[in-house]
Amino acid sequence: MATARPSSVFISPASLKMGALVVFIALYTAYSSGPFVWVAMMSLRTTTEIAADPYALPWPLHWEKFASAWTDSNYDAYFVNSVTVVLAAVAILTVIGGMAAHCFARYRFRFRGVLYFVIFSTIIFPPQVTVIGLFQILVEYGLYNSRVGLVLVYVSIQLPITIYILEAFFARIPNDLFDAARIDGYSEWSIFWRIALPVALPAISTTIILNTILLWNEFLYAVVLITEDDKRTLPLGVLRFMGDQLEDVGMIATGLMIAIVPVVLIYVFFSERLIQGMTAGAVK
Amino acid sequence: MAVVALDTICKRYPGGSEKAVDSVSFTVADGEFMVLLGPSGCGKSTTLRMIAGLESISSGTIAIDGDRMNGVPAKNRDIAMVFQSYALYPHMTVRDNLGFGLKRRQTDRAEVKRRVEEVAASIGLTDYLGRKPHALSGGQRQRVALGRAIVRDPKVFLFDEPLSNLDAALRVSTRAELVRLHRALTATMIYVTHDQVEAMTMGDRVCIMSEGRIAQIGRPMDVYMHPASTFVARFLGNPPMNLMEGAATETGLRVNDAAVPVATILNSGSAVTVGVRPEDLVPTDKADNALFSGQVTGIEPLGAETLVHVDARDGSPPIIVRGPREVAARLDETIHLACDPAMIRLFDAQTGIAISSKELA
Repeated sequence: MATARPSSVFISPASLKMGALVVFIALYTAYSSGPFVWVAMMSLRTTTEIAADPYALPWPLHWEKFASAWTDSNYDAYFVNSVTVVLAAVAILTVIGGMAAHCFARYRFRFRGVLYFVIFSTIIFPPQVTVIGLFQILVEYGLYNSRVGLVLVYVSIQLPITIYILEAFFARIPNDLFDAARIDGYSEWSIFWRIALPVALPAISTTIILNTILLWNEFLYAVVLITEDDKRTLPLGVLRFMGDQLEDVGMIATGLMIAIVPVVLIYVFFSERLIQGMTAGAVK
Repeated sequence: MAVVALDTICKRYPGGSEKAVDSVSFTVADGEFMVLLGPSGCGKSTTLRMIAGLESISSGTIAIDGDRMNGVPAKNRDIAMVFQSYALYPHMTVRDNLGFGLKRRQTDRAEVKRRVEEVAASIGLTDYLGRKPHALSGGQRQRVALGRAIVRDPKVFLFDEPLSNLDAALRVSTRAELVRLHRALTATMIYVTHDQVEAMTMGDRVCIMSEGRIAQIGRPMDVYMHPASTFVARFLGNPPMNLMEGAATETGLRVNDAAVPVATILNSGSAVTVGVRPEDLVPTDKADNALFSGQVTGIEPLGAETLVHVDARDGSPPIIVRGPREVAARLDETIHLACDPAMIRLFDAQTGIAISSKELA
């Protein structure tokens, strides 16, 4: 190719690179979205159809499966439960986590380091270790099989990481800002609400999105701590279609789609916000 | 309108062995512009923050208008402060930044709006009221920070190096603007800086601090002309005051080879540090009467003036002379320097503290 003359036949190295990148990204997208597309297709097919050919295109489209899951299989209740539990847990997490992070970042007090370590070190325990203990505690306090109990558990498991993310951000807010607000006549309490929280909004929204997605999908604690069908959350909905002998794969896929769609929507609309918050630089 | 009185205030940080501020006492009169000047780490900012209520006082008292302020939180002291970083609230517009403190104290929204607009107009920010700080230039941010203080009409204005983040040209104009502002508001202002030009040009009085203590307080020219110690002599003035070794004699002083007719209370033979400002040294032909003789090692023409570095090459520190635009001195030639005895300042050779002197005859 050393003698190659400039000609439209030849592809420049830059566009070759670009092409390779596009091919790579396309392959990766297909790879990572494959399972999602597969579940989406199955959600519109009956179990018999799936059994005949697992990978066939969904035709005819069985939209009625969604209605059936929603009304006949209690998915309306699961959905409401999921929304309530997740909203409540995320709201509490954001407020308490924000306050705690603000204190850790802003004030020097006795045992600050110890306290921070105690809170943060809990993330090293896998949920399998704590779930039995939590079960005992909830039974004792009459919170077993209740949504309030589940909310409290969710708050406690997500609080350390929430504080961790927020503390790092709060610590980067210049101290002068708080001094200026003090001189402007504001109490520590109103400084938190009027200065710290709004300035830390990118980090706050990151934790909100992160916690929402994680808790929306949470299965282990929910399956152990909730047994009553009317109190179950969406991830437990699949249990409805799993018998001892038979699994209704088609309906499982439909149920999964009902659970997945809100998460996908959150990603679509907030992914930029999420990345922004994770990589946010210094506050100017 | 307020009198700020500091009485032997000290600040010791937990775990710190040295006091960050050590027995500082001064009173800032109503409407006075007081400058706290010193190198970094001298305790000037800590002192200001204690006046503001942002830092606790380890001992001593701070009073504003006779009311003891120890323990009174910053929000109740009715002071305004301009920070070096400006500390504008990044999520608020200029209008909200200006009105934030007012809203806390004033319930009448129309009045807040009126005041904010009035102040914005006076500092030329009317067109920027809807912008957020990140959309402003450094100078504009500085003006917002200033406006935020003015709009509150506080008892005392505190400034913590407010001009350090501005470029040189803007610094000069803002300096003049601040002086004008002080005259217009006739407010009590306390201004922290490490820039001696700001201290000299703006302050009614200057308080020079070193290692947590007050080195000297006085009107800028008095401090410049009569430094209380070699620290002040060296810190104030650029280039600093020239310090030479000397000794007291029966008739005055002996500096290098020159006999200087200055009366001192010192015993004959005792060592003394002799200080002369660079602009007070003049070349002389008479070698035997020269205060200092040495080789010219450098000539720095600054446009309006020329600095001449002279080194005696005997181990003693070199001397800097401030001359006019055109100087006769040539590099490497030996010159002799003399000085009006009235301009000589004497300091204790050990402690560096000024010794009162007066000219003979």
